[in-house]
Amino acid sequence: MRNEIELEGIIEDYLNGKLTEAEATAFEQLRLNDPTVDHKVVAHKVFLDSLKDYASNLDLKNKMDHAHDQIDVDALSRKLGPHPSFIVNMWRKNKSAIAVAASFILLTIVTIYSIQQTTEQTGSYKQMSAELSKLKSSTTTLIRDIKSSQNSKVPVKPVKFGGTGFAISSNGYILTSYHVVEKSDTVYVQNNKGDLYKVDITYKDPINDIAILKIIDKKFSLGSLPYSLKKGKVGLGESVYTLGYPKDEVVLGIGYLSSQSGFNGDTLAYQLSLDVNPGNSGGPLLDNSGNVIGIINAKESYTDGATFAVKAKFLQEALSSIPQDSIVGRISSVRKSKLSKLEPSKQVSKIQDYVFMIKGYN
Amino acid sequence: MSNKLSSSVPTDREVVLGVLNNSEEALNKLYTGYFPMILQFILNNNGDEDDAKDVYQEGIIVLYNKIKSGDFELSSKLKTYIYSVCRRIWLKKLAQQSKKTNNISDFEDVIAIEEDVEQHEEKDRQFDKMQEALLHLGEPCKTIIQDFYINNLSMQEICEKFGYTNTDNAKTQKYKCLQRLKKLFFQS
Repeated sequence: MRNEIELEGIIEDYLNGKLTEAEATAFEQLRLNDPTVDHKVVAHKVFLDSLKDYASNLDLKNKMDHAHDQIDVDALSRKLGPHPSFIVNMWRKNKSAIAVAASFILLTIVTIYSIQQTTEQTGSYKQMSAELSKLKSSTTTLIRDIKSSQNSKVPVKPVKFGGTGFAISSNGYILTSYHVVEKSDTVYVQNNKGDLYKVDITYKDPINDIAILKIIDKKFSLGSLPYSLKKGKVGLGESVYTLGYPKDEVVLGIGYLSSQSGFNGDTLAYQLSLDVNPGNSGGPLLDNSGNVIGIINAKESYTDGATFAVKAKFLQEALSSIPQDSIVGRISSVRKSKLSKLEPSKQVSKIQDYVFMIKGYN
Repeated sequence: MSNKLSSSVPTDREVVLGVLNNSEEALNKLYTGYFPMILQFILNNNGDEDDAKDVYQEGIIVLYNKIKSGDFELSSKLKTYIYSVCRRIWLKKLAQQSKKTNNISDFEDVIAIEEDVEQHEEKDRQFDKMQEALLHLGEPCKTIIQDFYINNLSMQEICEKFGYTNTDNAKTQKYKCLQRLKKLFFQS
């Protein structure tokens, strides 16, 4: 017993480094020779380490408890804890999800709003087409309303209405929009060289907005028509162009077919993406092969570049109204256009002789 | 809010030096500096103030042991380290109480600290064992052992404190106490 106590004292001194060098060497020799002593040393060390760890942790905990007492935990809890309100909690926990949802809803609202806007515009198209069907001339129909006679070569009366027309026969039949001439008693046509011819209105079709004029001068004659009539379907997106007289010089407009129907699904007409101005009404609409595919008659008042043209197949009725023996070199829907192999720019120079400015007086 | 919290937080260097020097002031600063962060985390994840205190203190102990063992490198911010450790400890506790641990609300970045927490758990078991053993040891043995080994009193002082006639008696008593404590500790 006494030896045991002595031994433990020595082990403790040894572990704490309190033995002298000679004593330590002797003790280490003893450890080497006696495994039981060595075991006791190791076990004692492990135990003392645990005890020290325990002591330091306990000390740390006490200090932390002390520090903890200085914190106003209740106040902090109120500030940091979950909010009693369910909604605030939900907001805190799902901030990002709510943000995503909100932006999605916003996007949806914007989309719906823009669709509604489009719907509103459709409403105004309808109004416009109603007016058209009554055939009151308005800003949307492309008649050039000429206020003064300064530019006119006919000084007798001021020119009231202007538009465009094109030859459908080599002996002076000219096709234009009905609304261009509807309010005029006297109509003249002027070619690109500035020659003026008086015409009779020989055919009126308010429904299809088509009129046919005949140059009274019996000596008037053109070469055979370079273009032909295309009554078949024209593909969406096909390039088209028109020639017209929005001013005293002929003006070329180029665009493409944007819809197979016109105002509010009007199947009589095409919709085009093509910039036109008042004065283009009645102008021929041609495709890249030089076929007449329609007549420009209106544009949409709120959207730039949305233009409408009466489809060529509705010209057939108008054409058949002309007595067969009086028409010479009429426009063909069978023969291939002479222009089909030409570049559009070359076609224009050939066509412009067959496009006329219409001048209406009343 | 987080700005306000971090304004009273000591710098990471300050903390490491303070821990190595056993500075109580540094501990206080550290403790009060990061407690709100952990309190917020625990309160928002099915815990109460007491849970926060327990978890946070364990976390600080892990940090202390890590710093004292010398292999603590400031590879991450101290704040992130403390948060990650406490988060891991709390998730384990939640799992033990078989409460749900999915959909955890996080307030800070999280780094991998599995190893440190596992080491801590081993040490914590030792701590509990020692506490248990000391509890079963009873008086006056417990006080003698604590005075000698923890408070570093000399045999002479213990002899006087407990009224032993000579230090040999005191030594014998201490020896007996220690033998019992060892038995209790290694048995449990």
